[in-house]
Amino acid sequence: MENTQQETRKPCLTLALETSCDETSAAVVADGRIVLSNIISSQIPVHQKYGGVVPEIASRKHIENVLPVIDQALQAAGASLTDISAIGVTYGPGLVGALLVGVSVAKALSFASGIPLVGVNHLEGHIFANFLAHPKLEPPFMALVVSGGHTSLVHVKGYNEFALLGQTRDDAAGEAFDKVARVMKLPYPGGPYIDALAAKGNPEAIAFPRALSGKNSFEFSFSGLKSAVLNYLNSAAQKQEDINTADVAASFQAAVIDVLVNKSLQAAAICGVEQIVLAGGVAANSGLKAKLGYECQQAGISFFYPDPILCTDNAAMIACRAYYQHQIGDYADLHLNAKPSLKLGARKVGT
Amino acid sequence: MPILAIDTATLVSSVALATEDTLLAEITLQTKKTHSELLMPHIAKLLDMAQVAKTDLKGVAVSIGPGSFTGLRIGLSTAKTLAYALQIPLAGVPTLAAMAYGCPVPGVILAPMLDAQKGNVYQALFEWHQGELKEIQPAVVTEVTAALESLSQQERPVLVMGESAVMYCDKIKQIGKNLILAAPHVVIQRASSVAGLGYKLIKQGVRHDVMGLEPLYIRRSEAEVLWECRHGVAK
Ligand SMILES: [Zn+2]
Repeated sequence: MENTQQETRKPCLTLALETSCDETSAAVVADGRIVLSNIISSQIPVHQKYGGVVPEIASRKHIENVLPVIDQALQAAGASLTDISAIGVTYGPGLVGALLVGVSVAKALSFASGIPLVGVNHLEGHIFANFLAHPKLEPPFMALVVSGGHTSLVHVKGYNEFALLGQTRDDAAGEAFDKVARVMKLPYPGGPYIDALAAKGNPEAIAFPRALSGKNSFEFSFSGLKSAVLNYLNSAAQKQEDINTADVAASFQAAVIDVLVNKSLQAAAICGVEQIVLAGGVAANSGLKAKLGYECQQAGISFFYPDPILCTDNAAMIACRAYYQHQIGDYADLHLNAKPSLKLGARKVGT
Repeated sequence: MPILAIDTATLVSSVALATEDTLLAEITLQTKKTHSELLMPHIAKLLDMAQVAKTDLKGVAVSIGPGSFTGLRIGLSTAKTLAYALQIPLAGVPTLAAMAYGCPVPGVILAPMLDAQKGNVYQALFEWHQGELKEIQPAVVTEVTAALESLSQQERPVLVMGESAVMYCDKIKQIGKNLILAAPHVVIQRASSVAGLGYKLIKQGVRHDVMGLEPLYIRRSEAEVLWECRHGVAK
């Protein structure tokens, strides 16, 4: 077998699909870490006039875009189906009709090509976006996942071993951002607009509540904060008082960030990990990155976050996650179904 | 060489393999299991049982609607991807036409009806004329009682088919006259009919766009309709 020694090793390519919400995306990743292509067809402009994602419209867009996006991803990677070692697909959590398009396509693709299929948890995908952004990053670490639908603290013990420490009891952090933005008449999606506005305001102007900030509690709650902000805005409107929107945005954002940052550092300390990674759509928030970065530095903890493009829903992160599942033979079969409320929980994997 | 046909427009899950003149195999299930769980395993089983290699498939025909939006998308996602990966032709077959195609009886009006929610149905009318299926009325969304009343005014016998014929069978019997409720094996969609019509289309050179083919929804999403009601039609 001397010949095989001399041959240059072919990289292991994973192709993945992501259709859980309002982005249709396909990507090819080499050896789990190198993004060869990451095509994202965003539907944000389509949903903008409705002030939020309309599930039926999202599903209709996915079926229109899914094959062109896959084809582009393969072409951009200079790969054909025969070069692919595993096909990953997001099967939850997300909008059921949207997930079903990706799952159906991935199953048919796997069947037609004979390439093994990997069902990927979207939230695990968000965490794994950090492996793409930081080639040297390795578990264990604490992951703070913040998006429009999720706020969770996850102890990532290994590539295939996770423990959920806590999550939100009600609204996700991103949801609170969107709702506050809507009442402030900011465009959809509101997160980036609040972030920009907050940068110009005083975060201590208004004392908004920080819920469940007790020591060693890793659950979150943002609905009380959201109501407090809405009440503040409504009562100011009723009294016809002028409000400083930048101060409102800054004070609201500070309340969210304080809770997220404190709990992340506490969780890292309790689990004895020296790295914290940020993941999910809200990971693009500049205020959050700045504060978490600063506090990590003070505590001697390394802090990682993905580039903005890897924070949004994208298939490269799913391909990265699929690669590590492929490594341990964690495959799905043709019965794979969409799981709209798939949980990120303790995950035990046999070797 | 056979083509594969798929119909997931309603609760019925049906897949078939057929050549030009032979139905090789068909699996038709009417259970509570989701299309997502059933469809791909059925396709794999069907090919296996009929001893047809996937690489021997000559084309894919899929029932494109109208019907359940989610069901249609599962069928179409699967069909498009198989056509893409196996590099074979794709034919989208109108669901109601496929139903009528499965019942080649001259002298009768064929009236397939599928549920369109809130007392409405997707309906089209067909007849067989000199061995050819003709569409008398294209697919529309219509209120079911009015549709049945209007059909009962026809001079010819009308065979009412589809899930809505089953849902409203009491109404059909009550109106009586020339209305006939189709028998159980004809009343539901069968992929064998999709295969029949699909084979014909592919033979005629029909090549639907694997990248862009969309379901025949007939209806827009509720959100779009509501938005236009509130804001006035912009177009
Ligand atoms: Zn996401």
